[in-house]
Amino acid sequence: MKLNKVAAQAVRSVRRYRLRTLLMMAGVVVGIASLAILTSIAESTKQDTMRRFKNMLGTFDTVIVRPGGGRSRGMPTLVTVPPTLRFEDAQAIATQLPQIKAVAEVQNAFDIDVKYRDRSASPAVFGVSPNWLALRGEDVADGAFFNLEQNDSLARVAVIGADVRKELFPDEDPLGKTLRVGDVPFQVIGLLKSRGAGPAGASLDNLMLIPVNTASRRLFNRDFLTMLVAQVRDPQSTEGVTAVTSLLRERHHIRPPALDDFTVTSPATTMAQVTRAGSTLTRILSGVAVMALLIGGIVIMSLMSISVSERRNEIGIRRSVGAARTDIILQFLSEAVLVATAGGMAGVIIGWGGLELVTRVRQLPHVLLWQPFAASLAMSFIVGSIFGIYPAWRASRTDPVRALRS
Amino acid sequence: MIELDHISKTYQRAQGETVHALKEVSFRIAPGEFVVVRGPSGSGKSTLLNILGCLDTPTSGSYRLDGEDVSSYGDMQLSRVRNSKIGFVFQSFNLLARTTALENVEIPMVYGDGHVDRKRAMAALDRVGLVARAGHYATELSGGEQQRVAIARALINRPGLILADEPTGNLDLNVGREVMRLLKDLNREGSTILLVTHDDAVAAYALREIALGDGAIISDRVQTGDSALQPAGEAQ
Repeated sequence: MKLNKVAAQAVRSVRRYRLRTLLMMAGVVVGIASLAILTSIAESTKQDTMRRFKNMLGTFDTVIVRPGGGRSRGMPTLVTVPPTLRFEDAQAIATQLPQIKAVAEVQNAFDIDVKYRDRSASPAVFGVSPNWLALRGEDVADGAFFNLEQNDSLARVAVIGADVRKELFPDEDPLGKTLRVGDVPFQVIGLLKSRGAGPAGASLDNLMLIPVNTASRRLFNRDFLTMLVAQVRDPQSTEGVTAVTSLLRERHHIRPPALDDFTVTSPATTMAQVTRAGSTLTRILSGVAVMALLIGGIVIMSLMSISVSERRNEIGIRRSVGAARTDIILQFLSEAVLVATAGGMAGVIIGWGGLELVTRVRQLPHVLLWQPFAASLAMSFIVGSIFGIYPAWRASRTDPVRALRS
Repeated sequence: MIELDHISKTYQRAQGETVHALKEVSFRIAPGEFVVVRGPSGSGKSTLLNILGCLDTPTSGSYRLDGEDVSSYGDMQLSRVRNSKIGFVFQSFNLLARTTALENVEIPMVYGDGHVDRKRAMAALDRVGLVARAGHYATELSGGEQQRVAIARALINRPGLILADEPTGNLDLNVGREVMRLLKDLNREGSTILLVTHDDAVAAYALREIALGDGAIISDRVQTGDSALQPAGEAQ
């Protein structure tokens, strides 16, 4: 009841001194707007990165096995990997491990000339098992993917990515056409759906898929794999990774203390790392914005302190008609909170506008999350309460006798 | 109404010397009295008024207001007493700037127990003849009008005691007379009034005069008729 009335006095006072109020708000407006913008951008960047990773990795219920123990940079190819991962390994994993649903074999190479009439392209050429599409959660846009029969019979068929199609068949339907990979002719039987850009921004569509057996016997003449992709039954558990690791160690006769001659990674782990990196970014940006907000709070505190000195007479008058020290504290604290929260609201509106602008200019996915805005508002309330305490306390210590004499 | 018993007030100056602003002051004021306190500057008038108004507390002695021993009160209780039992009228009016006459009159209600009653505030303004000026800002009013708003503010919570510190000090003669007539009327209606002044003409409105000198009471007399002007003459 009394609080209402004292707060109403604060509202009046805030409206009475408009310029001072606006100046006090300015810092908080900037702080809150940047807090809202930065956290939102960080969040939407994170989501965007995650989306790109998902583009590259396909589904998340797989583990990827590469030959070689150490970390290698970039995409492995037949030239760069040791010949330790065999077709038989893939068979064993697929048949012996109950944790694994399916396995896809992969042989791949880059910088291979692919020609159609007088046109040429150099896509990444992947020899893959027919179950590749299903495992990766991808699809063909047109035509068909090769099947088991075609793989077994070493059929020379190819499914091409959107970039390859653009380069080799700009004006015609590629389905049924024959192109040459090196010297070997392949018939185009399908077109892959476009996957857009990967995490580094490079296109994921500059590739060509052929049956892995065809690749092994007719194109590359290698009987080892560059990669195998195993689909696990339970993506949440690490059992798949463990089982694959121990089976491969056994098959490769590796005993402790010898290290693995292969590397097992799971997209889920990679994803977690990416997410963590994103969260760090969010935290850093939020930290910057919180600093801005703190400066806003200090602005409120200093202007409010000056205002307390200027309003000594008012404080004296209020005290003389019955305001207790607590009433004075309440009034000045309410003013600080009011100004900060109003600044917060303005900041949220400006931040929202700014965010619209930034996402449009930077072409980030349009993510409008309410949490950063709600948090920003709460922050402004807290800033007002904290930085209002000192001036309010000073106001309450004003000696009414002296204040009334001046 | 007021019972002061051996009230003393001492201050510590910055240099460490002790100032005795009031020394063992005792007197009583009955409800409905109109008392003037006089004395040269530095005689302790202001200190006395501040203690009576519960804006300051005595160093020693007891002060009973309406039977309550306010000398032992803390800030909350003193504020409540100021709000409900005392109305102040100052030399410099002390209205809130950028605030209308009506809002100024309403302020004591904010700190009281009741709600802010606009009708009562208008009635108080009516009492001082300023209903027409209710919506004007304090700074748009003449000195006399401002002082009348201040009186309306002092009246709003119907306090028994009105403390006035040189209420006509910033007003010219005629306007000052008007203000004094208003105070006199309030006294007739039952308010106890204590005012501090140097002005003989103002002092003449009071029926009792307490003279202070050097923090102590020099004389305390009831004035009658023509002799009203005499004590002032003696003092000078």
